[in-house]
Amino acid sequence: MSTFSSQVTTNDDIEGVKTYVMPTGAKDVVTISGSMLGGSVHCAKTNSKTAALVTSMLDKGTEKKDKYEISETLESVGAELSFSSTRYHTHFTGFCLKNNLGTVISLLSEQLMMPSFSSRELSTLQSRICGNLERDKENTKTLAMIHFLRTLFPSNHPNYRETVDDSISLVNKITKEDLFVFHKQQYGLGSIKIAAAGDLNPEDFNGRMHESIRDWSSKKTEIPRLVEKAREPKEGNQIIKVQDKTSADLFIGQSIGIDREHKDYYALMLGVYILGGNFSARLMQTVRDKQGLTYGIGSSISGVSFGADGYWSIWGTFSPDIIKKGVASTKEQIDLWFNKGVTEDELSAKKTTISGSYKVSMDSTAGLAAKILSNAEQGRNLSYLDEYPKIIKSVSLSEVNRAIKKYVNPNKLYMVSAGTL
Amino acid sequence: MSPKNNNKFTGYDFVKESAGIEEYTLVKNSLRVLVLEDHSAPVATFMVTYHVGSRNEAIGYTGSTHLLEHLMFKGSRNFNKEKNTAIWTELQNIGAQINATTWNDRTNYFEVVPSEHLDKAIAIEADRMRYAFLKDEDRQPEMTVVRNEFERGENSPFDVLDKNIWATAYQAHPYHHSTIGWRSDIENVSTERLKNFYDTYYWPNNATVTVIGDFNKKDALGSINKYFSEHSKSSEPIPPVYTDEPEQEGPRRIIVKRTGQTGIVGVAHKAPKGLHEDTYAFQVLAKILADGKTSRLNKLIIDEGLATSIFMYDFPFLDNGLFITYAFLTPGTDHKKIEEIIIKEYNNILENGVSDDEIKRAQAQIRAMVAFSRDGTYAVASALNEAIAIGDWTFYTNFMDNINKVKVEKIKEVIKKYFTEDQSTTGWFIAKEPKD
Repeated sequence: MSTFSSQVTTNDDIEGVKTYVMPTGAKDVVTISGSMLGGSVHCAKTNSKTAALVTSMLDKGTEKKDKYEISETLESVGAELSFSSTRYHTHFTGFCLKNNLGTVISLLSEQLMMPSFSSRELSTLQSRICGNLERDKENTKTLAMIHFLRTLFPSNHPNYRETVDDSISLVNKITKEDLFVFHKQQYGLGSIKIAAAGDLNPEDFNGRMHESIRDWSSKKTEIPRLVEKAREPKEGNQIIKVQDKTSADLFIGQSIGIDREHKDYYALMLGVYILGGNFSARLMQTVRDKQGLTYGIGSSISGVSFGADGYWSIWGTFSPDIIKKGVASTKEQIDLWFNKGVTEDELSAKKTTISGSYKVSMDSTAGLAAKILSNAEQGRNLSYLDEYPKIIKSVSLSEVNRAIKKYVNPNKLYMVSAGTL
Repeated sequence: MSPKNNNKFTGYDFVKESAGIEEYTLVKNSLRVLVLEDHSAPVATFMVTYHVGSRNEAIGYTGSTHLLEHLMFKGSRNFNKEKNTAIWTELQNIGAQINATTWNDRTNYFEVVPSEHLDKAIAIEADRMRYAFLKDEDRQPEMTVVRNEFERGENSPFDVLDKNIWATAYQAHPYHHSTIGWRSDIENVSTERLKNFYDTYYWPNNATVTVIGDFNKKDALGSINKYFSEHSKSSEPIPPVYTDEPEQEGPRRIIVKRTGQTGIVGVAHKAPKGLHEDTYAFQVLAKILADGKTSRLNKLIIDEGLATSIFMYDFPFLDNGLFITYAFLTPGTDHKKIEEIIIKEYNNILENGVSDDEIKRAQAQIRAMVAFSRDGTYAVASALNEAIAIGDWTFYTNFMDNINKVKVEKIKEVIKKYFTEDQSTTGWFIAKEPKD
């Protein structure tokens, strides 16, 4: 099988922009996934929601086109462009037919470079976002997760989350001027990475992209250094009461104190995967398949990118009537996993899972573009995508079991459940 | 190579070809097989679609198709825990994406695998087609799993409103109940009933298998023949669903009140069977009404800050379905106002029609959607699955040609024919204040 690195053409002719183009056997379609630094960690301390509102306003009009003209341009050719923001990045994604690639690239650059940020549009958007946030007040999963992360991390940590009410308040405070300031400060050449996959020619893609953005000004921006790490793990149990809910959501876990560049990361990740990474992992096989206590339960490591110390957690849903049994069964599995470790057979199986998943993830242009972009954002070479299965294969059983012992403390788990409890 | 020169395979009758997809019948048992080679990535998707869904259920065993789907993962003759060959473990350990879904008209099981493992996926699906264990000791814990899935759905105001709208619009036809079924049926249906269901519908002559991706056609068909030829046809004919929905003779309304934060409005009208020629006009109309910022309802509702989003429910089914406009209201928006805007816009189209430009834009949107439905082996199999479910897999391959035939007059005709007040069912979700 060809390697990733041999199939992707990279280009950095324009300083501050790196493109990764992967022609595939897909017919007629192209997916573009790109990003630049500009997420909530880059917002002024007073309002972490500015980045999100800036991205949400990018399709509401530019200096040249109003929102209807933008939409008309896209919809007349069946193309889509969307923008979003995370803790660290502003992301953009495009789907189009190959014949419309030029139109989409041209519009994408216009929307990124010269948004109009109309006051009326901002006001309507604030109303819509707050409507969605109001809905979060009855979302048991969201409420449990927010509380869980607020307990594990201090307010200046990237993994911290605001309450729903705080989010509503912050969204409503944002002014048109705030949007312009953030855009001026963050948006520009410097940290742009763009992956494209599908029925396209690298030279043609790069030519069009360069033509569209070469005149954009440069911005020196970077990910702020972490000023405070996660709180020390401590045992706790919080119940959030929400009325008229037939299913409750449960989070259990703790901070781990390391990021994904740490030498123990892969070993711990594999250990957590064996506990609850997929259906054939321990939690689903016992708490769901054998005991029938939940529709879904799993475990993962999160919040470990870009130097942040992250956390491991279990998330599951339970009928309020049997959540106590569910918690007891889950804790039993955690204890077993911690005390006896995982087996060579389990580790071997997960290694082949990850190796096979690598191939399966190449099934669509969207999957490929997302994979390439994510790798680039982490500052890794393309060759890492080829090496990843080998890295996983090299992790030993003793390293996995040692990492579980080192980073998990069953006596200091924090637990949050939300529902009609 | 043209299918005409490349369609003779041992054990199969070639049936037809459309858009590169070839249909064969396995002579031994009438299993329908759809094949498309695509070597874009080292991946293959194998899918079995059974022509049974929640429309084949009745009072007392609603949700059985779905519960049975869950039990199908509990083990079969050759793939089970006792032999250390459990289905999930066998497939996930090779990195496969694996799952199953149930809907009104079909149940599908699928595996997306590294192509060298295609044979294993075929072997597993063939084995559980007739040799699934379906033990009572497995049903007991799985019932509570499914009940939690039901409970998760009930947490969502949208899911609850949608169930109520269908249950109000359809009174006799089994689309009355949702695929997950009623809670008491999930809890009480017997293993015997589920086995009976399995023995009635899980036969090769009531299934279509689809194989898409990076394989050699001769090898894949050989493998399907090897594993599935073990089964005979059903000894009894597959029982048809004969319940027709009586004509609706007036508008219906349903209100759901629960603790919550914001309201939802759903305005539904009876829609034709999926294979009816009017289906294509419905698809175009849905785009004109609510897909994109230039769509009519987006301008009238979203741009005015009256709702956070609009969602068109326009899925074609084997039998008559529903065309529903859903609006998720912003805090303080009056349900009645939204309902009036939606109805007024339907009437506006009835009186003044839509423009050629709107139709062209909708067709362009659908053209791109169709192209992306070919982006990846799973995408193709998934789109085919829904076409198989409504009775003709070429619905998928001919879809764009039929969409291109939709003209301005047809949209007006459809609005006049189907969007009448007497054929409507309107639902409101009203958010109640939490009790202290």
